[in-house]
Formats: sequence, C-alpha cells, structure tokens
Amino acid sequence: MKYYFLALGTVVVVCVGCAMDGSHLTDKGEYHAPPAAMMARPGPMVDGPGPGVIPQMAMGGGPGMWGCPPGGPGMGMPQAPATSQIRFVGPIGLHIGWLIPNGYAENQLVAPASYNFFQGGTYRLKITNLPGRDAGGQDPVALYPTLQVYPTHPNTEAYLTHNSVPIQLTEEDLEQVESNNFVTKVIYLPDAKYQELAIANVETLVSTRLDPGVDPIQEADKRGTIMAVLRMGNKDLGSAGPVARPMAGMGQDEFEQVSHQVDGDKGELMPPMPIGPAGQNTPGIPGAMMMAGSGYPGAPISGVNMQAWGMPITGTPIGLPGPTHLPLGGPASLQSHTVRNRTQQNIPKPTKDMLIDVSHEPGLSLPPPVGYINYKEKHPVYSPGELSNPAWNNAQPH
Amino acid sequence: MVKISSIIAGLLAVLLTCGTSVLAQQYPAVDGRQFPLNQMSPPGTAAQWAVNAGRVTPGSFQPVKVTLPAEGKVTFYESWDRPLELAAPAQAGLLVGRMYRLKVSGLEEFSGIDFFPSIELIDRLHPPAGREEDFPIDFEFTIEEFEWAAAGRLVTKVLYLEQPDRVPQLLLDQTQRITTIEPSRNALAEADSLGRPMAIVRMGGRTPDPHRPDPSFYGPGGPIRVVKRPTEALKPASHQQADFSAGWRGPVAAGRR
Repeated sequence: MKYYFLALGTVVVVCVGCAMDGSHLTDKGEYHAPPAAMMARPGPMVDGPGPGVIPQMAMGGGPGMWGCPPGGPGMGMPQAPATSQIRFVGPIGLHIGWLIPNGYAENQLVAPASYNFFQGGTYRLKITNLPGRDAGGQDPVALYPTLQVYPTHPNTEAYLTHNSVPIQLTEEDLEQVESNNFVTKVIYLPDAKYQELAIANVETLVSTRLDPGVDPIQEADKRGTIMAVLRMGNKDLGSAGPVARPMAGMGQDEFEQVSHQVDGDKGELMPPMPIGPAGQNTPGIPGAMMMAGSGYPGAPISGVNMQAWGMPITGTPIGLPGPTHLPLGGPASLQSHTVRNRTQQNIPKPTKDMLIDVSHEPGLSLPPPVGYINYKEKHPVYSPGELSNPAWNNAQPH
Repeated sequence: MVKISSIIAGLLAVLLTCGTSVLAQQYPAVDGRQFPLNQMSPPGTAAQWAVNAGRVTPGSFQPVKVTLPAEGKVTFYESWDRPLELAAPAQAGLLVGRMYRLKVSGLEEFSGIDFFPSIELIDRLHPPAGREEDFPIDFEFTIEEFEWAAAGRLVTKVLYLEQPDRVPQLLLDQTQRITTIEPSRNALAEADSLGRPMAIVRMGGRTPDPHRPDPSFYGPGGPIRVVKRPTEALKPASHQQADFSAGWRGPVAAGRR
C-alpha cells in the first residue's frame, strides 16, 4: 500500500511540475528583459506622440540606431530606406538579373557579387549562365526565382548593418528544380541557443532537405529571425506569350507598350522593381492609434467624406430607396421585386465574447527600483615613512 | 520494489527536464543583476542609453587608437562624404555616446578587401587633465578577426576597463586579453562584472553599395578630432609616465562573438 501512495504522490508532483512549466520550481531569481522589439518602444506603456511618451527608437532603417545626437533620439538622423546586402556566392560565373518595369534587366551581377536590396520587398530574379547547362544551346536556360528581403528586426539589425546575407545555389538545388521540384531556401540568423559557434553566422534551411510537410519558413522562424527567402522553380517566364496591348480605338495617339531589355554586359544597369511586400514592418507590435485631437476630419461628415444625407446608396429595378417624396408620373407597373438566397447555410453565429490570452515565457521580471543608497568611500591610511603602492604594481617598497 | 523505484526515477527525470527546458532560452544573470542589453541589441542602443541615463556627457571626445596586425590604413567617417584617412595605428578623438563607421584597408593579407567595422562608444576614460591623448582606448584587430569577417561572420567585441581588484596580478601584462564567450552569454554583462564596458566593436563582411551612394551604411557619423602631436610626446620619457602606462592597463577585450 505504501508503494502505491508513493507512486501516486510522485505522479502528482510530476504532473503539477510540468503544468507549472518547470521554471517556477527552479526559479533562481533571474531577471528577464523584455524582447528587443518591445524595448524599442520605451513607452511608458503607451506609444505614439504625447506628453511624457518616449518616441519609438529608430529601427528598420538599417543603421537606424547609429547613436543619438544631443537633443533627443531620432533627431537629425537621415531616414534612408533600409537595405539588406544580398551576396550571391555561387556558382561562380552565375549571371543575375531582375525584373524591372516592362522587362528584365539581365546580367546585372556576375557571381560572386553583392547587391543592396530594399527591405520589405519581393523581387523577381532572372538567373542565367548556369554551370553545365548552357552548352551551346540557342535558348539559354534561365531560372526566375523570387527573392523576399525581410525587414530589419531588432535581433538582426547588428548583423545586417555589418554583414551581407549569403545565397548560394548548389548543384543539388539546380537538380531539384530540373526535376520539377520547388525549392525554398530560407536564410535566417539563429537565436543564441541555436548557434553552434561563438562567432555569429547565418544558417540556411532548404525545403528539399527537410521532412515532407515541414514548412521551412515556420521552422526557420522557430530557430531564429528570417532575413531572406528564395523560392525557385522551373517555370519559364521568358517564353513568348500574349502581349498585353492597350485598348483599340484610341485614335491617332494609340501607343504600344514597349518591353525594355537592359543588359548589364553592355554597361546598362537598373535597380530591381519589387513585385510585392515581404515580412512585417512591425514585429509583433501594432502601430500607434490616435483616437482624436489630430485635427484631421476622421469623423464621418455628411457630404464631405461620405454620401450626402438622403442620397440613395442601393439600386433596385423598382426605384431607389431614399427619403420620402411626392409621387411623380404614373404608378409603377412592377409592384414587387424579391431575390431569395436558397443556399443551404450552416454558419455559426458570431462570437459574442472574445478572450485571447497572451504571455511571455518566461514572464518579464525586473528588479525593484532603487530606494536606498549607502555610499561610502574608504581612504588609505599610511604610517609615517610608509610608501603608497598600488596593489597591481606588485612591487615591494624600498 | 525495483520496478517502482525505476518508475519514480524516470518520472523525476521527466520533471527535471521540464524544469530546465525553459531556462536554457535566457541569458543567465550575472551577479544577480539585470542587464537588459546584450551584444545582439540593435547597434547604437547601448550608446543611446548611456546618454539618456546621464552616464556620459554628450559632446565629450574620447581618443581611440586603432591598431592593425600589419601595415594598413584606417578611415574615420565624419559623414559618408567626409572621410578621414590615417595610417595605422590611427588615433582620433570620437564623441562618446555615438557610433562611427570605419574603413580598414591596405592589409597585405587581404589584398583588395576592405573592412568596415563600427565603434560604439558607451563610456569614456578619465585620464589626467591635459593628457587625454596619451591614454586612448586601444582597438586591436587581429588577423583571425579579419578572416572571420571576410568569411561573412559577425565579430562583436566588448572592450572594458578592467577593475584592478578583480584581475589577478599575474595577468597584468602588456597584451590585451581576449576572452571568447558562448553565444548564449551576455558579453556586456560579463564585461561589466570585470570592469567598466567602454565600447562595442562590430565587424562583418558588408561593404557599401557600389551602385549608388549609401549614406545610411555609414550612419550619421559625428565630429572627429585629430590632434597632431610631436613624435617625442609619444615616447614614455619619464618613469612617471611608465608607471601610468603600467598601471592603467588599457581596456581589454572581454567578449567576442
């Protein structure tokens, strides 16, 4: 019987211990600072302009935290768009181009080479001169991957301002693409606990090396902070297709859309055009919301930023709903117009109350504020004839 | 009997595993004190906090000396279009509480490669009045660090002025001591436990944009003060100055990631 109670007690202790997340049982009184993204907004507790509110520290501008000039943070600092330097490591001799308005800028870079892409954008690249794949062919093999350049995160700002993000296409990647596989490469800066070496370096997750069903982006997000994502397939975007033309009947001024071809081999360079966003600009924290007092007509004003009072907004075949008015002309022939939606619907009612529990793990823990200071200075006392000699000198008085 | 004991031992092992999994994600506390900043904080944050907290006086210059493992040139940037190139070892006065971008070039071991480290001054020294230029903060770069940076890694060093009573006397030699710590440890906290952190140096492989002007890469920079001194003044002429140099020891690289 006593073994039974002993085992039962142990099970209870284990279950309670795991439910308490373990840290409570082994709490050593350590302090846990808020994450860097939260510390970039000192507050207190609120954001946005206002009395006593410290503005958000510059971030996302690449080197946006380059010190603070006297007078306050964020003053006098140039707010240039942030860039991430992407370094195309190899294969050596690879030609990299990208999408520009109305065409492609080809051969803009020859690997190994670097280019500063604006953060928060998705770019369409054109990769040619693949090793061993352009042997005498009239139509050179080209790949059209997309490159997502993520915005700076407080965890990656130090790295991005001092390092480039390496991207290398391996022979395995090219073979996977030729085999109709979709390759996703995620370049991320691992968290400290996932770094194998003392000197920080990026790591790359490749979708083809992960187990089926594992999302490389989610996996990289668990291990660190994503800086760039390259997606690559074998879809040929350079093949001739229907050309978009403007509408006919534009008279003598009809024009034709011209496709631009920019070739870097001829010394023609042109920056890439983003085709979409990438990442989040504000990691996990929404922006400030001003409720009133801004002076901008945010409230609905009839006839200014909404329809004038009495203006009908819904059209039906029997007339327009609106304010009552005197009937004009003869009576309407159509007396009824009904549309019924007979679709079977099983839509639950809207949630009446929403409760979301959020928490940091482990919780934030700061030391109590200083309430007492005991300042004491000790002065050396020497006897007559005794020589003052610092401890570090390690010399004997003589 | 044996079976029940094995079960209990196994469950206790599970309990201990649950307890330690969370702690491994945090920077451990040093001396039971809180350090909200670490070496991975956004560049410039430590300097900005030092100014906001009143630990340093904005507008005060701190001489720094950049030493290379071989002959080379060091370029300081007041702004992106106002470089100031000096031969190594290069000494210049930088504002405390700011962050400067540097360029290191002309290294024989790295032909054609330029490095662009940054220096973030978070504190300053207090030498005797009028002799500030004799006691610069010495930034020594090694071949190994340049190799890491050329390979695309981020080298972060925290320089601190060691506290004499926390350093064994046997270690008081002329060379700087470099301690490499694990990534999961807070280099700023480790430096603070051994003395007074003075500066954070970061160096990687990024270079400015060759296709267009890249002012944001250099940051806002700041005023630079260069004092040209006669060569004689650099030599320790008297034993009193030699005592100072032996006693001050200079800041020592504490953490490096």
